[in-house]
Amino acid sequence: MTENKTKSSAATILLAWVLVGVPLTWGVYNTLLNSMRLFQVPAAPASAPASSTPTK
Amino acid sequence: MAVLSFLDRERSVAHPGYSRWLVPPAALAIHLSIGQVYAFSVFKIPLSQLIGVTKPAAGDWKQTQIAWIFSLAIVMLGLSAAAFGKWLEGAGPRKAMFAAAVCFALGFYISYFGVVTHQLWLLYFGYGVVGGAGLGLGYISPVSTLIKWFPDRPGLATGMAIMGFGGGAMIGSPLSIKLMTLFKGGGETGVGKTFLVMGTIYFIFMMFGVFTIRVPREGWKPEGWTSPVKANAMITTHNVDVNTAFGTKQFWLLWIVLCTNVTAGIGIIEQASPMIQELFKGAIGPIAAGGFVGLLSLFNMAGRFFWSTVSDYIGRKPTYFVFFALGAVLYFFLPQTGANHLNSIALFVGISAILLSMYGGGFATVPAYLRDLFGTYHVSAIHGRLLTAWSAAGVLGPVLVNYMREYQLAHGVDKTGAYQTVLHVMAGLLVVGLVANLLVRPVSEKYWMLEKSPAGTAVRGH
Repeated sequence: MTENKTKSSAATILLAWVLVGVPLTWGVYNTLLNSMRLFQVPAAPASAPASSTPTK
Repeated sequence: MAVLSFLDRERSVAHPGYSRWLVPPAALAIHLSIGQVYAFSVFKIPLSQLIGVTKPAAGDWKQTQIAWIFSLAIVMLGLSAAAFGKWLEGAGPRKAMFAAAVCFALGFYISYFGVVTHQLWLLYFGYGVVGGAGLGLGYISPVSTLIKWFPDRPGLATGMAIMGFGGGAMIGSPLSIKLMTLFKGGGETGVGKTFLVMGTIYFIFMMFGVFTIRVPREGWKPEGWTSPVKANAMITTHNVDVNTAFGTKQFWLLWIVLCTNVTAGIGIIEQASPMIQELFKGAIGPIAAGGFVGLLSLFNMAGRFFWSTVSDYIGRKPTYFVFFALGAVLYFFLPQTGANHLNSIALFVGISAILLSMYGGGFATVPAYLRDLFGTYHVSAIHGRLLTAWSAAGVLGPVLVNYMREYQLAHGVDKTGAYQTVLHVMAGLLVVGLVANLLVRPVSEKYWMLEKSPAGTAVRGH
């Protein structure tokens, strides 16, 4: 059997990273959108009664 | 079986010219998939409405019953990692990744049948036991391979993979929601078909990892890299067998280190949403609290990469020293940021984010710490056994947090005060971890593996 001495091409490496990078970026983007809600201006205090907060 | 011989370790040895930068994506494909387990909560409501569809009906499963599926999966993660770690070292990463993919996908398929026949035990067995075994196998399968490919940057390499586990939930959660929305209708919640599709998608994605992963040839080193001549006392050039390592003081000290770090992290994760709402009543509502939870998961993931990379420069022991010393101070100070004291949401969010980054960092840095102490020979197997600390913390953390809080509230302490006590106990736990970390010393020579010298005599080898 002859030994394969082919060097991994830059395109192969890039493709491998894109394959895992795209779903990860999509997930991070969705989480980032979700986390932005923390920085939204809260509604008037009267519309956010403390008693409505859930507890675990 | 001949058809599966491509999974053999010998068939996965890298050819000259193979780039080591193909290994992290292979590892990420596995970790991004199995990290889905932390998004399991999105199935809780649909699973509790299989009969009623839009609301729970008589005969529907209760959320407390459904919660056991996740708990079983996490317990199985620790147990299977401990049980199969040594097998993995011999079988090689490709076979272990394949087994992980089969178990993980099979878990979804069995759960599909559990949904269509409305048999909860099939979900316990499928997603919990079979899928959980896939989680454990998948979690440890690329670790020693990455360490061998990146002897110059073991923290960075394992950090990249374990970061994927944190990122997996970020993919799994929106993907599940989109699929359930797509399949919902006709008297179905859509969760069954979602299980089928997700099992298939994850199996295919994990196969990319299976086919891409390679182990380095015997004696391979990164180009231009030489082992440091003057070795750091905390980084061994020798190897310790997994069974021997299991009996060393260092293993159990690291077990305490991981267990306390994870338990403390769970202290925040478990109560993040209600805690921020209680501490800043009126200013933070449920929607903003959901955003806070999302932000914490981002820092949890980023911390895995950041801290494990930092550990390559400052060392593993100092990195954990930072986690425990800074963590204890921050946990102690966190309740003071509430509306009753400093009333600073920014400070509360900032401190929580740092704490969660160190929680993630603790997971990602521990494989390199094990490699430093016990060598690369059985590092995956040792890591597998150490993950029982995670299983223990997975039980200990929520129990501590919830029971302590209930006890406080039952004894007339107000909600804000109850959080303060819980967080102070977490700070105390980190002090225990700090002491355990400070006690870690290099492994004694008597535990090193024997190797044949060129003369044929057994010597304490590398």
